Amino acid sequence: MKKQIGLAGIAALVAASLLAPAAQAEDVITLGASVQLTGTNANTGRYYKDAYQLAIDKINAAGGVKVGDKTYQLKLDVLDNQSDVNLSVRQYVQLISADKVNFLLGPFASNFALSDSSVAEKYQIPMVQGGGAATQIYTRGYKYVFGTLPPADDYYASTIEMMGKMNPAPKSVALVAADDSFDVSVAKGTRKHLADAGMKLAVDETFREGSADFSTILTQVKAANVDAILWTGHETEALNFIRQMKGLNVNPNGLYAFTVGVPTADFRKALGPDANYAYGMTSWLPNPSLKDKWFGDAAQFAAEYKAKFNYSPDYHAASGAADVETFAMALEKAGSLDPKKVRDAIAGISFDSLYANIKYGADGQIVLPQVVVQIQNDKLVPIYTTDFINKAQYPTPAWDKR
Amino acid sequence: MVLAQILLNGILLGGLYGLMALGMALVWGVLNIVNLSHGALIMLGGYVVYYLFTIGGIDPFVALPIAMLVMFAVGFLLQYYLLNLVVRSKMLNTLLITFGLDVVLTYLAQLTFSADFRTINPPYAGANFALFGLTVPSVRLAAFVVAIVLAAALWFLLHRMALGRAIRATAQNLVAARLYGVNPSVLYAVTFGIGTALAGAAGGLYGMIANLTPYIGASLTAKSFVIAIIGGLSNPFYVIFGGIFVGIAESLTALYIGPTYSDVISFGLLVVVLVLRPNRTLRTS
Repeated sequence: MKKQIGLAGIAALVAASLLAPAAQAEDVITLGASVQLTGTNANTGRYYKDAYQLAIDKINAAGGVKVGDKTYQLKLDVLDNQSDVNLSVRQYVQLISADKVNFLLGPFASNFALSDSSVAEKYQIPMVQGGGAATQIYTRGYKYVFGTLPPADDYYASTIEMMGKMNPAPKSVALVAADDSFDVSVAKGTRKHLADAGMKLAVDETFREGSADFSTILTQVKAANVDAILWTGHETEALNFIRQMKGLNVNPNGLYAFTVGVPTADFRKALGPDANYAYGMTSWLPNPSLKDKWFGDAAQFAAEYKAKFNYSPDYHAASGAADVETFAMALEKAGSLDPKKVRDAIAGISFDSLYANIKYGADGQIVLPQVVVQIQNDKLVPIYTTDFINKAQYPTPAWDKR
Repeated sequence: MVLAQILLNGILLGGLYGLMALGMALVWGVLNIVNLSHGALIMLGGYVVYYLFTIGGIDPFVALPIAMLVMFAVGFLLQYYLLNLVVRSKMLNTLLITFGLDVVLTYLAQLTFSADFRTINPPYAGANFALFGLTVPSVRLAAFVVAIVLAAALWFLLHRMALGRAIRATAQNLVAARLYGVNPSVLYAVTFGIGTALAGAAGGLYGMIANLTPYIGASLTAKSFVIAIIGGLSNPFYVIFGGIFVGIAESLTALYIGPTYSDVISFGLLVVVLVLRPNRTLRTS
C-alpha cells in the first residue's frame, strides 16, 4: 500500500513538472547556463549562479522585462557541469535543444567559455558570458558571443604602467603562467607589454594547470634575483605559490603580483598575514559611483549579495549580474524574442550598470581597465588604474623583515 | 647551486610523496585492493588536522597522531563493513567499489567542508634556514622526517611484531594463517586501518605545504599509484625511495624540460618500470 502511494506521488510530481512549464511558457523568458557548482572550480563557479539568480530576482521584482507590449518574467535554468569542460558543452546543447531556453548565460573560466560559446554560435542563440577573458574566445569571428570580462592580453597593462612609475622602477621581471587558454593569453599579452615598457623578462616559465608544487620555478626565480614577479593562474595555485615563496625565502626586490585570488576574501582568510603586500587586480570594486537601474548602485548590489549569500561578491559576481542586465536591456530594445534581433540589440547596447558602462566591441568583448589592488594590513586597497589612487607599500620587504 | 637546491626540493617533496603512497602500497600488497579512494582518504586526513588546528588550537604536528587514530577508525570501519564484502573477489570489483567510495567521500567532503580552499597555516609554516648556501624549508624537512619515521615504524610492525607477522602470514597463505588462529576479517580491517592512518598523516602534512580542497584526492591517488608501483609493495623503505625518485625526477623535469611536463615524466617512469621489471608489482611480502 505504501509503495502505491509513493508511486502515485511520483506520478503526480512528474505530471506537475511536465505541466508547469507549459502553463507558464507564454510569459517567461528562460536564461540557461551551465556553471561549476561542484569540482575544482566550484569555489568561483558559485559567484555566477548566485549573481545570475540575484539579478533575475531583482529584475522580476521590479516588474520583469517589457518586450514589445508584453511583460515577461525572467527565469534561470542552471546546470552543474562538475568543472568538466566536455560535460558543460553537452549541457549547453541540452539547454538549447531539450530545455528550450531562450538565451544563454556563460560558465566560469576561459577554457569553458571557449568551448561552450561554439554551441551558442552553432545554434545562433546569443550568449552573454562574464567568466571568460581569453582573447581566443573573440578572435574566431563569432557573432553570437559577448563578454563582460576585459581582454586577458591586457590584464597586466595597468600593473606594468604602474611599475614604470615606481621608485625604483623594476627592471627585470619573472613571468610565471599556467598553461590553460586564459593564462596563455595573459602571458602572451604581458610579454608584449613588458617589451614595450623596456623591462627585461629574466624568467619566463609555464606550469601545468593544477600544479601544487612550485619549488623548481621558485628556485629559478630566486637565482635570477628579479625585481618583480608577475604570476597568472588559478586561485588555489596562487595560494600555493605564495606559501612556497615564503618557505623558500624568495624575495623579489620590488613586488609580486597575481591576476586572480588577491581580491577575494578567501585569499586573505587562507593566508592570514602572509597575504599582505601581494598585488592583484580587479575589473570591479563595489563603488557607489557605479549607478544601476535595478540595484541603485554597485555598493547596494554588494550589500544585497552579501546579505543573501553570506559571502562578499567580487568582480566575477558583478560581471555575471551585468550579463543578466544586458539581456533585460537588449530585450526591451529589440522588442522581440527573436535570437537574431536580440543579438543585434546586444551588439549596439550601451548602458550604465553596477559593473561598468556596458558596451561591447566589434569582436563582442567589453574593454575595461584593470584596477591594481594591494593587500595592506589585511585590507584590500585600490592602488592604480591610470594614475595612483592610494599609496602603494613599495618595495615589498623580505619575508623575514616583516 | 640552482641544481643542488632543486635536488634538495625534490628529495624533501619525494619523502612526502612516499608517505602518501605507503598506505596504498600496504593495502595493495596485503589485501590485493588497489584503493582508488586512497587520495580521498588523504584529503580527509588533511581536514581532520585542519579542524584540530583551527578549532581545537592544536599544533598540526601534535594533531598528526590524533588524526591518524581518527583515520585508523575510519579505515577499520570501511574495511570491516564494506570492503570485506569484496576482499577475495575479482580485481574489477574492488576497483569499482573503491572508485565509488572516492566519489562519495569527495562529494560528502564538499557538502560538509564546502569547496573553499583550506590551508593548515601555523606561524612557522614559512620558516626556513640556510645550510651550505641552500634554503631548507623547515616544514618540508619535518614532513620528510615524519615520512621516514612512519616508514620505519611500519617496517618494525610488519617484521618484528606479532600483529605484523599475522598480517604477512595472511597475505602469503590465508588457510595456514587461519589454522594458527588469525581472524582474517578483523586483520584485514586492521591492515586497511593502518593504511588509512598513514594516508591521514600524509594529508595533514600535505595541508601544511599545499591547499586542501575536496578535489585533491584523484591526483593524489594517481601519484600514490605510480609510486607504489615504482617502489614495489614489499618494503616500506622502497616506497619512500620510490617517492624520492619521483620527486627528484619531477624537479629535474621542471628545470630542464619545463614544469608542464612533470606528470608526463612520472607516468612515463611508471611505463618504463612496468616494461623493465614487470615482476616488481608482485607481492613478495
